[in-house]
Amino acid sequence: MTTTETPATTAPAPTASGRRLTTAKAMVEGIAQEMERDPSVFYLGEDVGAYGGIFSSTTGLLERFGPDRVMDTPISESAFLGLATGAAVEGMRPIAELMFVDFFGVCMDQLYNHMAKIHYESGGNVRVPMVVTTAVGGGYSDGAQHSQCLWGTFAHLPGMKVVVPSTPYDAKGLITAAIRDDNPVVYMFHKGVMGLPWMAKNPRATGPVPEEPYEVPIGKAAVVREGRDATVVTVSLSVHHALDVADELAADGIDLEVVDLRSLKPLDRETVLVSVAKTGRLLVVDEDYLSYGLSGEIAATVAETDPGLLRSPVRRVAVPDVPIPYAHPLEYAVLPTRDRIREAVHQLVRA
Amino acid sequence: MTEVLFPQLSDEDPNGEGVLATWFVEDGATVAGGELIAEVMVGKVTSEVHAPAGGAIHLAVHEDDVVRQRTVIATIS
Repeated sequence: MTTTETPATTAPAPTASGRRLTTAKAMVEGIAQEMERDPSVFYLGEDVGAYGGIFSSTTGLLERFGPDRVMDTPISESAFLGLATGAAVEGMRPIAELMFVDFFGVCMDQLYNHMAKIHYESGGNVRVPMVVTTAVGGGYSDGAQHSQCLWGTFAHLPGMKVVVPSTPYDAKGLITAAIRDDNPVVYMFHKGVMGLPWMAKNPRATGPVPEEPYEVPIGKAAVVREGRDATVVTVSLSVHHALDVADELAADGIDLEVVDLRSLKPLDRETVLVSVAKTGRLLVVDEDYLSYGLSGEIAATVAETDPGLLRSPVRRVAVPDVPIPYAHPLEYAVLPTRDRIREAVHQLVRA
Repeated sequence: MTEVLFPQLSDEDPNGEGVLATWFVEDGATVAGGELIAEVMVGKVTSEVHAPAGGAIHLAVHEDDVVRQRTVIATIS
């Protein structure tokens, strides 16, 4: 186990006037500060060295920390995720990048049978303080095997924490918290929130980020917009879309509350329930598949606690149970777009 | 007054155009020397632009504008 003392965790408030970064740069800054602080932290994965991560998750880390701590791996996810698990068990704090979450199929035994179970099977005597970073999401015609979110799959399986930032501030705070956590944490960054110049870019992907290290607590949702008429519970890029729609609909007199879950495991059910108790209406927006996933879990949370909170039936906007199409118009027909969110809100508030 | 130039990212096509991808500062803001002010792109190659001097920055191009390499994108005074 690492013996490095973990510093105070008080998160500074993001200020509108502060220094601004893209989500990708905020993530890298968080990793770099933890690598600076704790020599047991290292990063490995495909194209994370000289390339800097194909979605800029590691830009500049090789130059700063050298090849012993920023390692390019062969294309063998099972090998390097197993390596990371072993290193974590021996007291290192590895961050292993699975280039696209879609590739989990070739390494899932290492992840869910080993990384996610060792701490249970050892009765808590062996800790696995590792982070799996992985790129998720579609919207840029990368096809069925490079566009999925799949966070519902990881959150479904016991033993892993799952965090999904949507803003630069949370990207830095959650990667810091993930690295310091003694449990395996899966950190899923949507390519569309990274603020990459070569992808479709929402202004919300650039924002204020404090320069000092800080943690965003894992397992705590954020009410990112307060409103009275309906609650939109969502995560990742869909938070940007939901906020865009909320701004539009405010002009029509519809006042949306938007909850950014930020963590899927542990899930902050309390924040969801408090919001739904206030608004009486719930829309869940999820870029993962519709069935057996996050949207059903949120709906069940309300139904199990008190269905009387709802003034109208729950609505869900998610990817229907089909592989993500390559063709742009077809892809945008299945993604949870602003148009689909707006339509669902109208149905919800009219019901 | 200090001019901030779009960096030359392509040696093969030095007169080629790029895109001002992201401004991290607003027009009129006070910047410190060395501060990250913009990200630019030529093809899929990106580069950060840092303030060459401190002072009040005046932005000469908009985000997503197509800009020739080595042209002025901002002035600092």
